[in-house]
Amino acid sequence: MRFVVENAGKSFPGVVALDGVSLDIRPGEVHALVGENGAGKSTLIKIITGLYRPDEGLLSIDGKEVRFASPRDAIAAGVSAVHQERNLIPRFSVGENIMIERLPARGGLVDYASVHAEARRFLDMIDPSMDTRTEVRRLSVAQMQIVEIAKALSLEAGLLLLDEPTASISGHEAEALFAVLRRLKAEGKAIVFVSHKLDEVIALSDRVTVLRDGKTAVAGDPIAAVSRSRMVSAMIGRDEPVANLGVRKTLRDDAVLEVIGIATTLGHRDLSFTLNKGEILGLYGLVGAGRTELARTLIGDAKVTAGKLRLNGAPVSIRSVSQALRKFRIGYISEDRKGEGLILAHPVRSNVAITVWRRVLNRLGLLLRRRESEIAGPLARKLEIKTPSLEQTVGKLSGGNQQKVSIAKWLAVEVKILIVDEPTVGVDIKTKSAIHELIAEITRGDVSVLLISSDMPEMIALADRILVMRDFLIVGELENNRHYEPMSRRIMNLIHGDFAGKGSDAEWETTSG
Amino acid sequence: MNVAQRLLAKEWSALAAAILAGFVVLSLLSPEFLTEFNLYVMLRSFCVVLVVAFAQMLALGVGQLNLSIGALGGLVAIAAGGVMDKLGFPIALAVGLGLLIGAAGGLANGLLTVRTGINGFIITLATASVFTGVNLGVTESIPFYNLPAAFVAFGTERFFAIPYLLAPPIAVGAALAFFLARTVPGRYLLAVGGNPQAAELSGLPRDRMIVLAHVLSGLLAAVGAILAVAQLGSAQPTIGADWLIISFAAPIIGGAALTGGHISVAATSLAVVLIVLIQNGMVLAKVDPYWVQFLLGALILVAVGLNRLRALHARSE
Repeated sequence: MRFVVENAGKSFPGVVALDGVSLDIRPGEVHALVGENGAGKSTLIKIITGLYRPDEGLLSIDGKEVRFASPRDAIAAGVSAVHQERNLIPRFSVGENIMIERLPARGGLVDYASVHAEARRFLDMIDPSMDTRTEVRRLSVAQMQIVEIAKALSLEAGLLLLDEPTASISGHEAEALFAVLRRLKAEGKAIVFVSHKLDEVIALSDRVTVLRDGKTAVAGDPIAAVSRSRMVSAMIGRDEPVANLGVRKTLRDDAVLEVIGIATTLGHRDLSFTLNKGEILGLYGLVGAGRTELARTLIGDAKVTAGKLRLNGAPVSIRSVSQALRKFRIGYISEDRKGEGLILAHPVRSNVAITVWRRVLNRLGLLLRRRESEIAGPLARKLEIKTPSLEQTVGKLSGGNQQKVSIAKWLAVEVKILIVDEPTVGVDIKTKSAIHELIAEITRGDVSVLLISSDMPEMIALADRILVMRDFLIVGELENNRHYEPMSRRIMNLIHGDFAGKGSDAEWETTSG
Repeated sequence: MNVAQRLLAKEWSALAAAILAGFVVLSLLSPEFLTEFNLYVMLRSFCVVLVVAFAQMLALGVGQLNLSIGALGGLVAIAAGGVMDKLGFPIALAVGLGLLIGAAGGLANGLLTVRTGINGFIITLATASVFTGVNLGVTESIPFYNLPAAFVAFGTERFFAIPYLLAPPIAVGAALAFFLARTVPGRYLLAVGGNPQAAELSGLPRDRMIVLAHVLSGLLAAVGAILAVAQLGSAQPTIGADWLIISFAAPIIGGAALTGGHISVAATSLAVVLIVLIQNGMVLAKVDPYWVQFLLGALILVAVGLNRLRALHARSE
């Protein structure tokens, strides 16, 4: 299928989201669509998938003009998409979710045997280990993403559109996905690939279109002709920014949090590590390695069944999230910022001040907007949150700015330990380095950071030390020298190798058996 | 997981246990409880409540609330009763007309909700008043008593402890369970309730499913109303006036999510059994019937609390 968008324009009250953008998606090619948050990618995707109708411009399939009144029309025309938003029915099984667009039926009755058999076929392309009968609400975020991909594949559409498909899955699963995409490409399908990860874009795509501020900055050039640096400067209008972390201390022996041989109800066993004052300690591992679960344990959301926790030398037991925050000053920035981190319908002001409401009460116990603003204002400026005012509802901000708001709210509470879970997923390059600088800066104020990330370059750029986790165990600890090549190799060795005898590096040691 | 654990993991397990306990306690405490007549009385009061609970359950299934169930029921009751009493319609025709009015009322609710984009809560709050207004305007609060003997007999006759009146609710329940679990529209309806945005992106006819849920909800309200007329032996304009709380209580005690997508015919039915059991127990214990309302409220809180505990327990495992 050849899908062409010609001079598409779309405006919303007060904003021109797309201005004369064209996209020529050819059969047998992967066409990358890149751009920063707010560049117009989402709007363009929504036009292609029938959610929006363009104000101007034409859509055509194989030379014939098409108009989509709804996503149903786009699906019928052979356009299938993996959207960034969760697109699954929580109480339905994996199989039924994959097949929902066209449930196999006999005489009006759903034929569950073929639902699962059909779903199996598409799921096997990416993850043969998943059971199609599991209810989707019991899956992890990464597993849900895999279901979404299988669902899009199941339409066997002429045009497959993937919006940040690898944002929450592991490198291994991403490789499986890329293999499937290459095969589909060889079968003559047209594929649109949207990603912030330029390495993926370069490895996978044949052509690239770069959007900036709703306009085309690079128009479907062959990927070989576009260097990485040209892509980046086309996206942001200047060269790739390198986060300036300042000088990082290397010697640390000022333990803030000591974890000694703990086991948890979630399945961790015999975990030990130390977090020092002003340190960024990385937790790297594949999705499902138990990192987020460890974080949840540290904020009192899961029970410790063995071992000890020590805070500033004193043994503690953390019983609830509220206690973790108020008594021990441990904060957690969730990876699911929309679901868990922010109240989207509320303004920036109250989202930032929510953690300190108790401190901004007046004598009558009433909340004062002015006090909230006094706290939120400086933080918003410091983090360069792009918002017309503190009264803007958070739901209307871009992803990167939403992430900054979640960071701001934990800075407001003056935490001593901040756990950040995948801080830059789905965030554009410019904001990403700003967030990195921010994290480095708060540690200079004696805050210690536990950084959970599946983004290897981020981990190596940011962490002072890196703990590598696998199967709910810590399999190694690395002093990070911030050199990408050797560090990434050591980390991958720990994750994939039989770590006992491998590597010539003296810096790391295994802490589990 | 062993059998006991698997049973415990079922959302209706607490309900089943409560019903069992209630049965044992009542049969030990009251000699009247297990008499044929008392069982008949219980089963008879089960009928209307069950269908009314199903009516609300379907609205909850798509994440909507239907506040007009009782008002629509009242309108159907006097319409069906009125045409039998004043115009001499045969039973089948009167019942058909009643069902038609119920479905039409539901259609109005659904279309208004979908077309205007206004929350169903507000739409049905308004239409409830409209339906009640028509009801009272037509009848001036005077019931219709002169109903065909066969119709009234259906509402009172029984086979040992089993009232004839029980047949329609059982059939409706079975059909509904089958519809939701096995048919394509049934699955679509739950999909729309479970994640409206996802359903829309997947190309499912979201608006049509919301309208369908409202139509079925109205239709079931009509079934409940006709059963109530048969049970009372007269078409009272006040039929449906006390349905609202119980219509929410049963599905919610049965574990339905107000956000939609999660409803269960079995659990809702068990919840109705429990409610009827408690009402009966209070009658046998000669408790002032005014306290039934209080108990119903307390029961909702306990049931929702238990469900919550169970969910927490499941998560920590």
